[in-house]
Amino acid sequence: MSAGPYNYSYIFKYIIIGDMGVGKSCLLHQFTEKKFMSDCPHTIGVEFGTRIIEVAGKKIKLQIWDTAGQERFRAVTRSYYRGAAGALMVYDITRRSTYNHLSSWLTDTRNLTNPNTVIFLIGNKCDLEGQRDVTYEEAKQFADENGLMFVEASAKTGQNVEEAFLETARKIYQSIQDGRLDLYAADSGVQHKPSQPGRNTLTNDQQSNKDNCAC
Amino acid sequence: MPQQPEKENVLSRRLNKVLETRIENDQDTLEALKELSTFYKENTLQARRNLRSQIEKRSLEINENFLAEFHEVKEAFDAVYNDIADMSQSLQDMTTRLQNAKKQTKHLLEQTNTFEEELSKNETQQKVVAAFIDKFILTPEELIALHGSKQKRDTSITSEIFVALDRVQKIHNDCKVLMQSGHQTLALDVMEQMTLHQETALERLYRWTQNHCRNVDNVDLTDLVTQAMARLQQRPVLFKYVIDEYCISRRAVLVGEFIDALTRGGPSGNPAPIEMRAHDPHVYVTDILVWLNKAIPIERQNLHLLVKLCNKEVPDVMQQLNDALSSICEGICHPLKIRVEKILNASTQATVLYAVTNLIRYYKKSIGKVTEGGLLATTLAELQEKSEQTFLLALQQQVNNALVRVEMPPRDLSPTPAIIHLLAVLRDMLSTASMSEGREMDMGKIVHTIMEPLLRAINEQASRLPPTDMAVYMLNCMYSMYTCLSLYEFMDERLERLQAQSDAQIDTLTSEQASSLVANLNLGPIYTILQDHSHGPLSGIPGMEPSNLRNFLGKLDSLITTPDMALLPQINLLLSSKHKKAVQKRAFDVLLAIYKQLYEGVYDPSNLYENPQNILSRTPEDLLNMLSK
Repeated sequence: MSAGPYNYSYIFKYIIIGDMGVGKSCLLHQFTEKKFMSDCPHTIGVEFGTRIIEVAGKKIKLQIWDTAGQERFRAVTRSYYRGAAGALMVYDITRRSTYNHLSSWLTDTRNLTNPNTVIFLIGNKCDLEGQRDVTYEEAKQFADENGLMFVEASAKTGQNVEEAFLETARKIYQSIQDGRLDLYAADSGVQHKPSQPGRNTLTNDQQSNKDNCAC
Repeated sequence: MPQQPEKENVLSRRLNKVLETRIENDQDTLEALKELSTFYKENTLQARRNLRSQIEKRSLEINENFLAEFHEVKEAFDAVYNDIADMSQSLQDMTTRLQNAKKQTKHLLEQTNTFEEELSKNETQQKVVAAFIDKFILTPEELIALHGSKQKRDTSITSEIFVALDRVQKIHNDCKVLMQSGHQTLALDVMEQMTLHQETALERLYRWTQNHCRNVDNVDLTDLVTQAMARLQQRPVLFKYVIDEYCISRRAVLVGEFIDALTRGGPSGNPAPIEMRAHDPHVYVTDILVWLNKAIPIERQNLHLLVKLCNKEVPDVMQQLNDALSSICEGICHPLKIRVEKILNASTQATVLYAVTNLIRYYKKSIGKVTEGGLLATTLAELQEKSEQTFLLALQQQVNNALVRVEMPPRDLSPTPAIIHLLAVLRDMLSTASMSEGREMDMGKIVHTIMEPLLRAINEQASRLPPTDMAVYMLNCMYSMYTCLSLYEFMDERLERLQAQSDAQIDTLTSEQASSLVANLNLGPIYTILQDHSHGPLSGIPGMEPSNLRNFLGKLDSLITTPDMALLPQINLLLSSKHKKAVQKRAFDVLLAIYKQLYEGVYDPSNLYENPQNILSRTPEDLLNMLSK
């Protein structure tokens, strides 16, 4: 598998999680295609999207896993947490139940990802102001309490979608610069430079391990 | 006689003189004496006396003779005189008459001169007029050639009309010279006349050509028709009408031939009618398109033959021809469309439909080289689109049918038969597609159509399995798909996705395997204690006594002798040995890391272990070497 014509320095893996119907797939579609997808079918297992962005003058390829919100796929989707450098946790501002489930999503994420994974909370469907069920303030408070980044966005209008993805990438990049993120850890969710020979299955993971046992 | 005395005297003198003179020397005397001798024969007195009188008599007689003679002469002279007088009189008359005649003739002469001048002038004029007529007026033959014979109502055209038309044109051009030389009115008249002739002739030519343009493949007419077309090119409207007429007739002929080829076949059924093979969609569509691909270039050739003498430099002519060809082809569009659509609707097999799609694509391109645009191009484009759609729909249907039931993965966690079948279909389709034109797009669509439902089905199936089985099953499926797709180009994105998905599953599996190892070796509590540094010396903590550690080491030894025994049974079900090795290695890496920590802990004097060599004899390096055997 060749690296293709793309010239990028890093691959960042993202995961999008949240309850069914909060608009995870639409957010991804809006971000990769810059289009709103109406009547989007339920995701089965996981979907996948990529886009190359630029952070601090470096080209970065985002590999984004869009997971199914349905409970029955939880086993399948759990596999994808492990390698994620960024997790976009989505709820629907017009449905309080989706907001209420955030803490269980957060626990899952914390358990399955490494401590440096950037978690970004997104309150989707902010274009439906009239049907708002969750105030900005309480969500903001929840985010602050848990050390999450937060924004209200709309996959329909595209408002703040780009920002959420890019801000996450900036934060991850910052971690790399600070040396907090170990590029050679298998579960860092970051790969340096496209394909070292045979990039993939066996990324060098000599040291990191602690999390593997913790599950 | 008075003279007597004188005579005496004279005589005396004469005597003297005679006496004096020597008579023999005097000629006159001699003569006189001679004369005297003639009549004085006898010297007698008588004679002597008479001599005198005789002489006188003789003299008288001579005089009388003279007189008589002179009288005659006088009379003759008188006669002459009279004659001359008459003549003079006549002359006088004649002179008078001549004078009169002269007077009368002068006028006449003048008149004659005038006439002569006029005559020569007229002759010159006649020459000029003849030359003019010769140069600027058409001959009756030419007029007939131009307008056809009025009496015979003859409408046929001969090649003379072209000569005549050339002449008309030449006259028209010459008129400009005429105009420059000052004959404006005349020149304009002639020009007008010529224009009139030209128009009528072209009009006639147009009618004739319109009637005969269908016979362009008729050798006898070709020359005339093509020449006529070249002339008509000067009148774009007429030219266009002829072309239109041609198109209409050819369109009908082409449709007829097409239908014949479909239903009747060639003469005496050879080649057989195309519809005989309608049961085989591939052959049927091939035959139809091949026929078109042969027939249309012939139409194009004929069309170009029709205008072969025309000036092709004129803008729009090529466009006009192209439009004409499109127009000719319009007729066959409907029957073509109906038949191909019928085939598309009747066939359900994706492979067949894909073959048909590629056929249509190929011939669309091939025919597109001959005729650009127009209804045929649109029809072919529509058919291409339709066949592509039908193909994808059929493929989708085929995939859905195969996946309609969510099968449980088999016990060996290998891909289910349905998945294997669909991957075989995918491989087939991709092999074909990778050789077609526009393969990148085709392959993308085919892969999308098959892979998306396949991935969903696999996810569905996997979601019903326990985590380890799920990871193994997914990995096996991903591996099969990866192996299938990696044979073709343009699959990078798909492969990247499969790769990333495999990576995620390997992570899961590694984690499961590591947990299982840790549990089997009773490393769990040890690991927890090792992480926590707040308890003081390790040897004092329950569970970290050397006896307990030896228990762990015993298990580790048995692991080292049969490393495969320590693997989860599902790991052996992985189809890819690379996956298997990766999981094993990474799980052992975890084990090694813990062992290293333990080793360092035991050998750390602050942990107060006695004889650490007796407890942990192997260094982490030893263990690494043993496990990676």
